[in-house]
Amino acid sequence: MPYFKIPKEKEVPLACITPAPVGEQPMMITGNWRIYRPVIDHEKCTLCMNCVMFCPDACWQLNEEEDEVVWNAKYCKGCSICVRECASGALTNEYELNFADGVVRLEKPF
Amino acid sequence: MAKELIMSGCASAAQAAKYAKVEVICSYPIRPYTAIMMELAKMVANGELDAEFIHGEGEHAQLSVVAGASAAGARALTGSSGVGVTYAFETYSPIAGGRLPLQMMIADRALDPPGDFGSEHTDAMSARDQGWIMGWAENPQEAFDNSLIYYRVGEDHRVLLPQMACQDGYFVSHIPGKVVLPDQSQVDEFLPPYKLPHPLDPKHPVSHGPQIRPDQGTIMDLQRAEAMLAAPAVIKEAIADFNKIFGRNYSPFLEEFMTDGAEMVFFLQGAHSMTCRHAVRHLRSQGVKVGMVRLRFLRPWPTDDVASVLSKFKAVGVIETNTSYGGATRGGSLLHEVRASLYDCPQRPLTTSFMAGLGGEMVPLREFYYMAEVMSKMMKEGKTKKNVYWVNHEFDEA
Repeated sequence: MPYFKIPKEKEVPLACITPAPVGEQPMMITGNWRIYRPVIDHEKCTLCMNCVMFCPDACWQLNEEEDEVVWNAKYCKGCSICVRECASGALTNEYELNFADGVVRLEKPF
Repeated sequence: MAKELIMSGCASAAQAAKYAKVEVICSYPIRPYTAIMMELAKMVANGELDAEFIHGEGEHAQLSVVAGASAAGARALTGSSGVGVTYAFETYSPIAGGRLPLQMMIADRALDPPGDFGSEHTDAMSARDQGWIMGWAENPQEAFDNSLIYYRVGEDHRVLLPQMACQDGYFVSHIPGKVVLPDQSQVDEFLPPYKLPHPLDPKHPVSHGPQIRPDQGTIMDLQRAEAMLAAPAVIKEAIADFNKIFGRNYSPFLEEFMTDGAEMVFFLQGAHSMTCRHAVRHLRSQGVKVGMVRLRFLRPWPTDDVASVLSKFKAVGVIETNTSYGGATRGGSLLHEVRASLYDCPQRPLTTSFMAGLGGEMVPLREFYYMAEVMSKMMKEGKTKKNVYWVNHEFDEA
């Protein structure tokens, strides 16, 4: 008999022990923390892979078929490390507010 | 075969760990608890106990090592005293929240400054609200027994909480007393093998202690609260079984001593209850209607038991061997909980508290007599004059 009412969508596994994620962890979306968003100019990008190497959350990945780096909006916290490390000036910061799908516009913050 | 020996609280606690077949031990020296680790190190070296014995580089590391061991599916043990207990403080909440039922044996010690080494309950009591099962043993036998009982309660899947098995530094940890060591088969019957429902296992990889969102934090708190709510029933079960298997006579939460016909009682936990019994016997022979109620579990606090037992009396004197500077009563923290438990009772006793046995001082008989005098006066006047008496240091005696 449970002691507390916990709605289904709010349930958390015991001690929050979760199956080890393969690829992405859907229980911990952090993309909505952004104030800045890194924007790539593919014309300037030399595929030096600095962004791929330096992103602490592995939000830049190489798409080998298209031969370009791809950004993961779900997990990018907007720390701007990639922008700082970009060797070719292909990456720039833009205000999250300037985008129609900007995370600060979401009705539900989490 | 069960055998009776004379041993200190540290030695008996180490024996309990051996009987419980702990698998990983992490040590770091600080007196007085360190004698537990000395005993265990000998057992491991002599091949009496098959356990990994790891030297931590400090208490924070000790707790981190046993957290990992417990998560990996090993029955784990560590321990500390005084400032060692507080140095590891950061680890207490994640271990309890992570539902890792490891055990920490604490022989308590006064906190600094300036390096006092005597017994005082403040060290472990500072960590009382982190979700650990916690209580104090009165003598080496109880230190032995509690360790086994705590493992059983903590590892129960309805609870899954770590435990602080506390004993008074020196008074219990270093003064030998009679200890009955049971037969291994009795312990095996009482304490099933360690089985975590969610162990770390390379075949079924899981994340322990992941980053969570604020909205998940509340649910995690609820889980820990639920475990504490479930604990009392599990404790009662475990102690009934313990009494049956080992032929002991523990009441789960409160031990009453000479309370029949008592008008007032001393309320305390730990080693000073030994002296308290003598004081009660003497006072009874003088016609003073006094008894003793001893607390066996600080966490979970036995609210209902405290309310029903203490409301039978006219006056209760809580003996605090801990400090809560600036707290509601400006003394220790036991009286806070006692009064909170009694608040809804239609018939409430008069309550006050006595600061005694601080910094490792003994509580001699004459101090108990003084406390009884204060309580008698309180009953006669029908009111509590003061919430706290710093025994020996009040200008206005009684």
